[in-house]
Amino acid sequence: MNFRRVLAVTKRVFLDLKNDKRTLALLTLAPIFSMTLFGLAFSGEVKDVQVIVVNLDEGATIPLIGDVVFANAVVHNLDTEVLAITTSANLSVSITELENGNAWAVIYFPENYTSEAILAALPLINTTSYLDIYIDTSNINVAESITREVNEAIISAAEENGQQMPVTVRATPIYGSNVEFMDFFVPGIMCFVVYFLTTLLTLITFVGERVSGTLHRVLATPLTEAEIVAGYAITFSVVGTLQATILLSYGILAFDVDIAGEIWLAFLVIVVLAIVSQALGILGSALAKREAQAVQLVPFIVMPGFLLSGVFWPLEAIPVWLRPASLFVPPTYAIDACRSVMLRGWGLDMVWHDVVALLIFAAVFLALASWSLRRRQ
Amino acid sequence: MEELAIETSQLTKKFGDFTAVNALDLKVRKGEVYGLLGPNGAGKTTVIKVLCGLLKMNGGSAKMLGTPAPSKSIAGRIGYMPQETALYVGLTVRQNLEFFGSIFGLGKAKVEARISELLKVIDLEVWAKTLVNNLSGGMKHRVSLACALMSEPEILFLDEPTVGVDPELRASFWQYFQNLRSQGITILITTHYMDEARHCDRIGFMRNGKLIAEGSPTHLLESTRTTSLEDAFLEVVKEVGP
Repeated sequence: MNFRRVLAVTKRVFLDLKNDKRTLALLTLAPIFSMTLFGLAFSGEVKDVQVIVVNLDEGATIPLIGDVVFANAVVHNLDTEVLAITTSANLSVSITELENGNAWAVIYFPENYTSEAILAALPLINTTSYLDIYIDTSNINVAESITREVNEAIISAAEENGQQMPVTVRATPIYGSNVEFMDFFVPGIMCFVVYFLTTLLTLITFVGERVSGTLHRVLATPLTEAEIVAGYAITFSVVGTLQATILLSYGILAFDVDIAGEIWLAFLVIVVLAIVSQALGILGSALAKREAQAVQLVPFIVMPGFLLSGVFWPLEAIPVWLRPASLFVPPTYAIDACRSVMLRGWGLDMVWHDVVALLIFAAVFLALASWSLRRRQ
Repeated sequence: MEELAIETSQLTKKFGDFTAVNALDLKVRKGEVYGLLGPNGAGKTTVIKVLCGLLKMNGGSAKMLGTPAPSKSIAGRIGYMPQETALYVGLTVRQNLEFFGSIFGLGKAKVEARISELLKVIDLEVWAKTLVNNLSGGMKHRVSLACALMSEPEILFLDEPTVGVDPELRASFWQYFQNLRSQGITILITTHYMDEARHCDRIGFMRNGKLIAEGSPTHLLESTRTTSLEDAFLEVVKEVGP
């Protein structure tokens, strides 16, 4: 091995990098971007979960002690960082709110919560006091946090009162009664895979079209920029649907994934997501002069989709101030819609806002993509 | 007055501070083979790209077939063979030709007819089902030419069609260009191979974005009292100065 020749290679590679300002910028920016996003999105525990407390506890009078309302002590001990609590006096209205997706849980203390608890504490009397949680378990992380918080609040309340109260927490799932991790995961990963692969494939293909000169060649024919974008959109919506079909079939066969709603709606969402993603790929291709540069754009596509869209953990686990960022990540809407359809069994009447958001993304990105092609030096 | 296929007036194209095409007045008659000759960086390719609508002109105007150019309305009557092969390498020869036929809006029967005709011309009939990726450089050039001809264009832009092409194939290309001319097709061809430009009806010497001399090959040789177009070019350069 000749060290001079080795150094010549090293120098040549360094010079290559030095001359490619874009690669250099991406090499420094991409890790910072990834790490920042990872750090921010990961460090947050589940917070700010919308719950409704219906506290109808009438309390009881204990001789020598006086009037007590145990429910108040529990509510008082609920961690308001984790739970964003609204109170209501009407159980059925609150449950409707829950069914409409405006809250993750309704925590219900009945009128006799305290009296039953006191009775239950007495020896020889075989009764128990119930606390009901009506809960949307379609997002397991959120559901688990709520149950944990309630249990912790009951324990803390009991410690404050200096005595153990036999309270049974009854959880009634409003949605997703049998949801396991895979059920929760499949809709998310389906959307993420379609988003990621479609964007990447279009990006690489389109940089190829630019580099090989085919793009210029076809633009010199009657073919218009919008026609190119539309042609690509049709291809990738078909490919996206096929990917979703494969993932879904595999999920059902291998992991016994449950589907509560109408599956065509989930497919519709995925088709629109694929169209959004391919337009994003075309847009991105304008930023890359070579395939190698295109590859460096990958973290900027993957990371937001991975960390901000709710694939692995709920949006509630993203710090509150960072949450608005997820509104600019298209998979967020697709994942929300697919989960609602597949786990909650919601129809178009309930997920229409997600579909509309995706359609707006599609319209804007398609327009931008054909504008980016129309631009001339 | 003769009919003009291509006419530019004060056509200017700048890239930042660099003027690639400088107030160019170019007139190409219908049915002639016009060669733009000049060294690398003279602005030949830029002229074609502006006329094909791939680059924006910064000044001046252009007309093709009597219509202001560039415009999508006449794009269907124009064929463009870029300098790079610019083919879909993951598609077969036939699939490439089919694609270019359909984006010009040709019907299925017409596409089929054109493909069998052109495969004969470029002598690649047995290679029709081969992926372009697996073809040799020369073969790719021939496919690229066929793609530009799919729509039976009235004007054909050929940007350095013979770069990297072996002498035998180059001769057959020029033979074919003459055939196209006899069918009344106008050809604007760029090349920096001075010797092969003698096949053109007229030649324009280009340098620094300007036309520095123009005429038939014989005329250019006579007026410069030289025997090769290369010497003629150098002579003209000497006359106009740097």
